[in-house]
Amino acid sequence: MANVMEIYQLLPKTNCKECGKSTCMAFAVDLLARKVSVDDCPPLVNDAKYKAGYEKLSEMIAPVSGVTDTGLIVHEDKCIGCGNCVVACPVNVANDPLGAGSGKAPTSDKVIFKVEDGVVKARNVQECRRFGENRILCVACIDTCPTKAIEFV
Amino acid sequence: MSEYYVCTGCALLCDDIEVETENSKIKTVHAACRKGVARMKGCSDPLECTVDSENADIDFAIAKAAEILREAENPLIFGHGNSSSEAQKLSIGLAKKVGAYLDDTSSFCQGPVIEAILQDKLKTCTLDDIRHKADVIIFWGADPSNSHPRHLSRYSYFPRGKERQRGWEEDRTAICVDVRKSETAVICGDNRFYQIPMGGDAEFMDALLSALSSKVPKTSFGFDAKRILELANVLKKAKFGVICVGLGLIYSLEDLEPLFRLMDKLNEVSDFNLMPMVGQYNMRGFNHNLYEEAGYINRVKFNSETADAEHGPDFSVVEALRNKTVDAALVIGSDPLSSLPLSVSRYLAEIPLITIDPCRNLTSSKAKVTIPCALGGVESGGTAVRMDGVEVELKKILDTENLPDAEILRKITEAI
Amino acid sequence: MGFGQFLASPEIKLKVVTYRDVFQNTAQETSRFGEEYEKSSAVIKLDPKDIAKLAIKDGDTVIVKNSSGRVVVKAMKSDYEDSHAGIAYMVNSPWSNSLVPDETGGTGVPKFKNFEVTVQGAKGGKVTGISEIF
Repeated sequence: MANVMEIYQLLPKTNCKECGKSTCMAFAVDLLARKVSVDDCPPLVNDAKYKAGYEKLSEMIAPVSGVTDTGLIVHEDKCIGCGNCVVACPVNVANDPLGAGSGKAPTSDKVIFKVEDGVVKARNVQECRRFGENRILCVACIDTCPTKAIEFV
Repeated sequence: MSEYYVCTGCALLCDDIEVETENSKIKTVHAACRKGVARMKGCSDPLECTVDSENADIDFAIAKAAEILREAENPLIFGHGNSSSEAQKLSIGLAKKVGAYLDDTSSFCQGPVIEAILQDKLKTCTLDDIRHKADVIIFWGADPSNSHPRHLSRYSYFPRGKERQRGWEEDRTAICVDVRKSETAVICGDNRFYQIPMGGDAEFMDALLSALSSKVPKTSFGFDAKRILELANVLKKAKFGVICVGLGLIYSLEDLEPLFRLMDKLNEVSDFNLMPMVGQYNMRGFNHNLYEEAGYINRVKFNSETADAEHGPDFSVVEALRNKTVDAALVIGSDPLSSLPLSVSRYLAEIPLITIDPCRNLTSSKAKVTIPCALGGVESGGTAVRMDGVEVELKKILDTENLPDAEILRKITEAI
Repeated sequence: MGFGQFLASPEIKLKVVTYRDVFQNTAQETSRFGEEYEKSSAVIKLDPKDIAKLAIKDGDTVIVKNSSGRVVVKAMKSDYEDSHAGIAYMVNSPWSNSLVPDETGGTGVPKFKNFEVTVQGAKGGKVTGISEIF
């Protein structure tokens, strides 16, 4: 996974402010969090000399579908659908103890993770423990993933 | 929705699968893993009914198959890993009738372990026991994250169970012994991963045995004795331990003696069970069915006059093909040209060959007669035996023109 | 055309361990003859040191052979942290099975997960297709 310095290195580093941010570093931080997209940097898009950087960044910050408010991303191409996160997620366990919490297919609509067509889908993310006022740095879904298919940005 | 089906992608036979269908096809599969979904949605290369590479009607193909088996002196009937128990039983009957060599994929996979379990030489338990009770789980030469993706989430590590209510971090310890850091090893964590050299399993087992007997564990590859003692301590304290045995361990052992010794010791100091990590969905079913019928789990040759069975390595699919002792073959629910060494399986292309399968594969591409069958658990029902020996009922989801595997075998048997 | 083509590619002896991969298995369920199955099967994973010895780049094709058979597959750098020079990994497939010896010592079980091969750069040679294996 990309870090903010790697992203910064690929930006124009001119602090031109055309994107509305005060520095390229600020833009990099927002890009990592998917708050902005690569195309929000006009020089990067328009200036031929940044073409390599643009292409590299577009690849790195692949438009991931379903980046949620909690910053939870599922890389579907890596997911094997093992359901470890489904069963390990404390919210899933609390909301569906006899289904997801017991290793079986979820039986409640209130679960965050659910495997569909062999890959995990995240929903009800507002329930995630990393979200809201009393958030904690829960890593149950990340630590139990054999292919590093889940990350938070 | 709300009706549950069984996935036949592997011998976990997950029975909590919901499907959505559209235009007599499976559109969405819920809860199954990636490879299970691929199994249930079917292949893009369906097998066609052919004789000598020409399209044929099913009755002609069946008559031709019967003729091949009737005329052969020493036919081989092989496969069965992806066949229903009903088909397997008919295979056994057919083998008796024509005096065939009869074997299945367990012959070069989990066979020895299943045999020991059925003969009560190894203590075993069910997957549900593991979920409810197991606190120490060892994956030995096994990488379920790739071979049985839902093993850890459904049964062995992450789920809550009756005596395991507090979650995996507090309630369970997962340990991996392997020659490489597999994805399962990564989940177990560096402290719980024991990387041994290729072929070092027997020695590591005996070193662990020493440690369990409070002796200094020694290996010729200089494994850190402290770590082995640490491991022994964890195993001693286990309330309900299980060793999940994979092919990595089975292929590495010359015989099962080191495993017997270790299991005996573990059951002196603690309570340990063994789980064979069976691959194909009904491999264990074949072992059970043949054991019931003939007293052996695989590798037999029937005498067509007396219906007596001879048994031994010489009747294994590998030795039979290697020594060219068979002169025709029926392959069902398997692709030996892909899964056996080519140096062994090549001979199959030299003899009259019949394949029964839902899909095209390397074996069918060399077959004289190919007969498509319904996909088990999707296009036909039946029964199958899970890796832990529990019988599971398969239900049909979709209609197909193809006959179920059992029906094809019944017709071939009748035509002989 | 460089001078390199006239030099013999270095050849090294390696031990092969086979393993299972869920993505390859998924491709197999869909089609034994598909592109995806070949892409995920016809691969040998090597230690960076062995890649250097072979004077090849990550992703180049190599000839893998022994007395049982010969296949051309893609060489890839393995992602294991620990060095495993001298040992290569191949996913269980018809490509690996082309190289598994038929000797069993009469046990009926071939050494699927422990056999020797020699590996040599294929100088851009094409990966052996599934229908060419036989």
